[in-house]
Amino acid sequence: MIKLENISFDHCIKCTVCTIYCPVARATHHFPGPKQSGPDMERLRIKSPGLLDDSLKYCTNCKRCEIACPSNVKIADLIQSSKWRYFRKAFRVRDFFLARTDLMGGVATRASFLVNFFIKLFPVKFFLDRFMKIPSERRFPRYAQGTFRAWYKKHRKEQEAFAEKAVYFHGCYVNYNNHDLGKDVVTVLNAMNVGVIVTDEKCCGVPLIANGYIDKARKNALFNIESLARSASESGARIVSASSSCSFALKHEYPNLLELDNSAIFDGLDYITRFIHERFEKGNVPAMGPVPVRAAYHSPCHLERMGGVMNTIEVLKKIPGLELTILHSECCGIAGTYGFKKEYYKVAQKVGDELFKRIERANPEIVITDCETCKWQIEMSTPYRVEHPVTVLARAIDGKKL
Amino acid sequence: MRYDCVIIGGGLSGLTCGIRLAEKGARCAVISTGMSALHFSSGSIDLFGNEGEGKIVFRPFEYLEKFIGSNPLHPYARCGSSRVREALFYFRDQLDLEDIDLYNNDDANHFHVTTLGTLKPTFFSQRSVFNEKIRLAFEKKSKIAALNFEGYRDFYPELAVINLKRNVLFRNIEISSGKILYPDYGDPQRNPFEYRSIDIARIFDTERYLEDLAAQIRTAAGDAAFAAMPAFLGITNFKRHHQLLQQLTGLLIYEIPTLPPSILGMRIDNALKSRFAALGGVYIAGDTVRGGTIAGGRLESVFTENGGSSALYAGSFVLASGSFFSGGLVSEFSRVREPVFGLRVYSHAERSKWHAQEFFPRNGHPFLEFGVETDERFNPLTDDGQRLGNLYCTGALLPHYNPIREGSGGGVAVSTGYRAAELILAGNR
Ligand SMILES: Cc1cc2nc3c(=O)[nH]c(=O)nc-3n(C[C@H](O)[C@H](O)[C@H](O)COP(=O)(O)OP(=O)(O)OC[C@H]3O[C@@H](n4cnc5c(N)ncnc54)[C@H](O)[C@@H]3O)c2cc1C
Ligand code: SF4
Ligand code: SF4
Repeated sequence: MIKLENISFDHCIKCTVCTIYCPVARATHHFPGPKQSGPDMERLRIKSPGLLDDSLKYCTNCKRCEIACPSNVKIADLIQSSKWRYFRKAFRVRDFFLARTDLMGGVATRASFLVNFFIKLFPVKFFLDRFMKIPSERRFPRYAQGTFRAWYKKHRKEQEAFAEKAVYFHGCYVNYNNHDLGKDVVTVLNAMNVGVIVTDEKCCGVPLIANGYIDKARKNALFNIESLARSASESGARIVSASSSCSFALKHEYPNLLELDNSAIFDGLDYITRFIHERFEKGNVPAMGPVPVRAAYHSPCHLERMGGVMNTIEVLKKIPGLELTILHSECCGIAGTYGFKKEYYKVAQKVGDELFKRIERANPEIVITDCETCKWQIEMSTPYRVEHPVTVLARAIDGKKL
Repeated sequence: MRYDCVIIGGGLSGLTCGIRLAEKGARCAVISTGMSALHFSSGSIDLFGNEGEGKIVFRPFEYLEKFIGSNPLHPYARCGSSRVREALFYFRDQLDLEDIDLYNNDDANHFHVTTLGTLKPTFFSQRSVFNEKIRLAFEKKSKIAALNFEGYRDFYPELAVINLKRNVLFRNIEISSGKILYPDYGDPQRNPFEYRSIDIARIFDTERYLEDLAAQIRTAAGDAAFAAMPAFLGITNFKRHHQLLQQLTGLLIYEIPTLPPSILGMRIDNALKSRFAALGGVYIAGDTVRGGTIAGGRLESVFTENGGSSALYAGSFVLASGSFFSGGLVSEFSRVREPVFGLRVYSHAERSKWHAQEFFPRNGHPFLEFGVETDERFNPLTDDGQRLGNLYCTGALLPHYNPIREGSGGGVAVSTGYRAAELILAGNR
């Protein structure tokens, strides 16, 4: 059955504008591009799944094609949903583990020093490369010891004492890999007289969607919608996330791709720099000391898609002493778990090449970006350290060294 | 979020307006659903090319002087002809800052060759399409070679040559055709018939094949003085590539706009966006304005698809959302409407009068003249007759002109966008 509400492919006027702006089509001839893999082939796929062309697996779901399309075709959504609608599921150990960021994190954070140590060893890398098809060149993010939630528990009381509060969706990365970013969020919001509430949450679903685990993604999504909505309405608070991809999933992938009703959180949910910028505009700017650093800002694809880039830029511009170069918008190539797969590794690096060159030309001391996977990719592929905008803001507030 | 001005639609008109405002220090945001009509255009800016009934306008500004008097509702009439001139040359100077030289034949139109080999009068063209040397070589009736890349399907030189030879201007000019093989042509991964202009431009951008290509062009062109080829010189480095290739071949290299996507149009799009950003403008791509809050004859804020409940506030707004093609106008079975604010639209009540009988009628289709009705300050009326004093409508969204019949699309977009900026700046002073 063709779902009548799902025929945005029919609005396609075959102009090829999407393919011009697709970073993967630019990097490899193996990918025929969004027009062909999206609206063109969808026509055939809905008739017979046998007509599926598996080259669409090259799509990273960066959404740049959708930004370009003059006819508002949901091209990337068409491609993503085809991955699970029409492919016969073959179980892959690697994809299973890459998709389960919360499961992996839960285990790894119990003995993070061991995991961080082993993952760098040659035999381990060799094994991952040969048998798991995870390229040996790929550098892994480090795991932290313990979880962010455990830290937060000790501070819950003082956070609840604030009159104004925000519900913070921290995501897997902050919980398992980078507690400091979570603490920076607390520093910044507290400095603006906003307390931070952490409620029950599951992985937002981005890696699950990318690896075709749609049922699991839906389950997580329903859990998150319910939990965040409840917590927000109890405390009358807005919901914030400091990961551009988590925010994008919660706000846009849930309704558009997973076809779930997220109206209970849609309006209350902000990527964090929008929340901060709106308060800055109303005069709620915390006292800040200078951060005399030369930085290049890279805008992640999903933040571009949400139209949130200007918030981050405006917030960064308020930091005294920060010397900021805005890089021309390019995809870094990693696209979450994509760059962790051997079959796509080369493409991912080629996609990112343009960005890496531009970073080098900007000659910064650090790079700033909103997305954790962009951070991994840039830190692996260039000599520069990458920081989150909220971290830079937190250093301006607490005066510690960046 | 608050701006001095929010512009809805990032095409030729919206960006011209935004550049002018930002240059004068206004805090501006442009919001645009998708890429604009520039991606489909020739990349030449038409001012006024046809009187109708196939009669060509050679000196557009002179023509406008008398035309305006008898067509008071025409967007050019509402700008005034001296302001149209000011706007166009302002536009040229802005592009010059982004390294695109636009050539004009002083105050006269010149012709550019279309994909089909017909000639179109236009006012501004890029250097690879029109310049003094090209004019002189043409006047001397030098031989032309129309060349194509093997496997490229958006340009057919044989067809172009047939059409050109029908034209009186080319009657005594020798034109040959030929093919060039891209060094990548043998790539088994890729069906060469999937090549689009952008693929060729990208391969070209690497500069790896420049000498090889130059040698091929020289051979294929024989004793011609011109090599006319589908536009392929890339989007950012085209100036350097054009010069290099002319040096290496000793020929005049002439670019012919291809079927969309149009490299020549994308260069202008790229330059305008880059200029707007350099002036501090904020460009929000991939988002659609869905409506706004109106109070006391003013538009107070607009909200977008992605922004949900968080609105964008501004002192002035510009609606430059284009025509049917870009979604600025929407046709339903029995009416034409403006989808964002439900503004009052000029159209025919009777659907059968919307279009002519032929597909390419000489005088253009009537629906091309539909659009949002405004007063002389480009302020529109809401459906219930309320005038919105701080909303300005510009570009292809406007009625009472016919871009196809007149050959005036680019000029109207530029001059009305510029005019709206001037009105906004004057109002703020
Ligand atoms: C196929 C084609 C070829 C042409 N060729 C030429 C040529 O060779 N020379 C010439 O001089 N003229 C040409 N024209 C005419 C001229 O280019 C156009 O009239 C001119 O570019 C229109 O510019 P604009 O800015 O008014 O609108 P557009 O370029 O149509 O831009 C409107 C923008 O608004 C966006 N938009 C629409 N609704 C919303 C919304 N609700 N929220 C946010 N954004 C929105 C659209 O996505 C689009 O990007 C051509 C026109 C077409 C259609
Ligand atoms: S940009 Fe949109 S309309 Fe154009 S080919 Fe791609 S999907 Fe179709
Ligand atoms: S989502 Fe990104 S990678 Fe996928 S088709 Fe669109 S532009 Fe290309």
